[in-house]
Amino acid sequence: MARAKKNSAEKTPEASVFYIVGLVLLGIVVAAFIVSLFWTPFEPDATDAASKLMAPCASHPFGTDNFGRDVLSRIMSASKYTIFISIAGVAIALALGTIAGIPAGYFGGFTDRGIMLIGNSIMCFPGILLALVAVAVFGASVGNVIWALGLVFAPTFARVCRVGTMEIKELDYITHARVMGVRPLRIMTFHIFPNLVPQLLPATVIGLANMTLFESGMSYLGLGVQPPDASFGKMLADAQAYVRVAPWLIIFPALMLVFYILGLYFISEGLRISLSKGGK
Amino acid sequence: MQSKASYLIGKTVELILTLLVVSLLVFAAFSVIPGDTARVMLGPDATESQVELLRAELGLDKPLAARYLSWLLGLLTFNPGKSYAYNVSVSGLIAQRLPVTIGMSIIAMIMVILISYPLAVLSSRKPGRLGDQICSVIGHVLFAIPPYVASLLLILLTSSVFSLLTVGNYVSPSEDFFEYIGCLLLPSFAVALPKIAMSFKFLRSSIIEQKSADYVRTAKSHGMSDLKILIRHVLPNSNVSSITIISIILSDILGGSLIVEQVFNLPGLGRLLLSAISRRDFPLLSGIVFYLALVTVLLYFISDIAASFADPRIRLK
Repeated sequence: MARAKKNSAEKTPEASVFYIVGLVLLGIVVAAFIVSLFWTPFEPDATDAASKLMAPCASHPFGTDNFGRDVLSRIMSASKYTIFISIAGVAIALALGTIAGIPAGYFGGFTDRGIMLIGNSIMCFPGILLALVAVAVFGASVGNVIWALGLVFAPTFARVCRVGTMEIKELDYITHARVMGVRPLRIMTFHIFPNLVPQLLPATVIGLANMTLFESGMSYLGLGVQPPDASFGKMLADAQAYVRVAPWLIIFPALMLVFYILGLYFISEGLRISLSKGGK
Repeated sequence: MQSKASYLIGKTVELILTLLVVSLLVFAAFSVIPGDTARVMLGPDATESQVELLRAELGLDKPLAARYLSWLLGLLTFNPGKSYAYNVSVSGLIAQRLPVTIGMSIIAMIMVILISYPLAVLSSRKPGRLGDQICSVIGHVLFAIPPYVASLLLILLTSSVFSLLTVGNYVSPSEDFFEYIGCLLLPSFAVALPKIAMSFKFLRSSIIEQKSADYVRTAKSHGMSDLKILIRHVLPNSNVSSITIISIILSDILGGSLIVEQVFNLPGLGRLLLSAISRRDFPLLSGIVFYLALVTVLLYFISDIAASFADPRIRLK
């Protein structure tokens, strides 16, 4: 086993490669978001009948759409929703997952079975199905998408917490704390949770990426971010009718979306490699 | 050690409990809908007695528990009632749309296996070589492309480069089976792409791990050829863990195909689901959601059982 670990450590690229590429990709999207807070080349929603479906040129580097709206400006303002929804959704999932997962791992028995049963049941809805149900019932809005996706992703974090807690609670210092009469809630909050952070960190980064995958899919179906606000998914859906005449309408939002997701994946891969090396 | 029978019983109990929770979740979601369904259906002009009549007809006047039981029984006997919007039976509507979704899922799964296995075996021969690195990088990129974006890019590619666009043409399998397969190929490929990357990455690391195991070294020292070791020992052992991955991939493919159908304009379950959402057709919606979840639950159940038969050590966990 030790040999296998050594081999794979030798043959996978360094973690820093993943960090650099990931941060560059993510940086493009985050930079677009930060700049969009202060300045966009045009108003993202401003229509211009004179410049419909213009190919990329000097004044519109990414071209314009069927309403004459500047694609660059729209992409910049769309990055806001992508970043905001993924962070808010993961925060909810992380909170729910931790609250459910640590007691499940700590107490075991029926608590564990009950919590995992609910978690597994939530995971049995393929893809965005459960989030779609929530949106169907409560209406399509950014808020509903966030809590629905937060709920869908909570079991993933609960699993990470549960497995981690089961390992940690066997350690001597937890037994010691228990013998000293420290309450379970205090043990879980101050002695177990901080030690789960190394495991939760890569899971959180991947969660952000997967959350974006789901959110953009819902926006594509028209059940996420609502027009006239720009989101990558909605821009792609609108662009589909012009696939032959205006491919730039698809290419640029798709690139930004993939940069964001890929950047997060690379960072999580880097985290995974450096954490597994550190743990050796 | 747990016996085979007690493991099976335990898993079956788990299956039933999971299904119960799943059905409760779906039912709860559709019982907390704001607004009176009967009132919404009839519109604001209907009199109170008309609304009462429709409520009785839909069974909405009964207590919640009774409604849950009759709803669940209806679903389990494949008779989940009538759709509000289409006024035909929900199971009929779903059955009509199944060929697209199932066909796409099967084709996509075949693509995943056909592409990821050979690549993983080739890649793991000499890990770290240029070919392996290229495959890994492409795998990372593919993994980050949502299936519907992949569909759009494929449409872009096929329409501009090869100028063969078949989006929107759907031929039912009873008309012409080969045309049916043909029109599902591109959407299935789009759904399969990220899963090919996932399966490749997983298989590759699993094969590399197995290859450094002691039994492989022993087999080598006995003079067994590399190919024989691979086929007889390494692959079966990596298969055990890939049974679980395959069930996850299948469920993801099913979920992904719901969106991709929309891109390619295919009359599958995904489009039915969306029309049910936009028309607020809750019997139809709850039926689709429940059956899709049911398929996934059964998939996980079967894969757990299959994995435990392939590797009895799993039962110990």
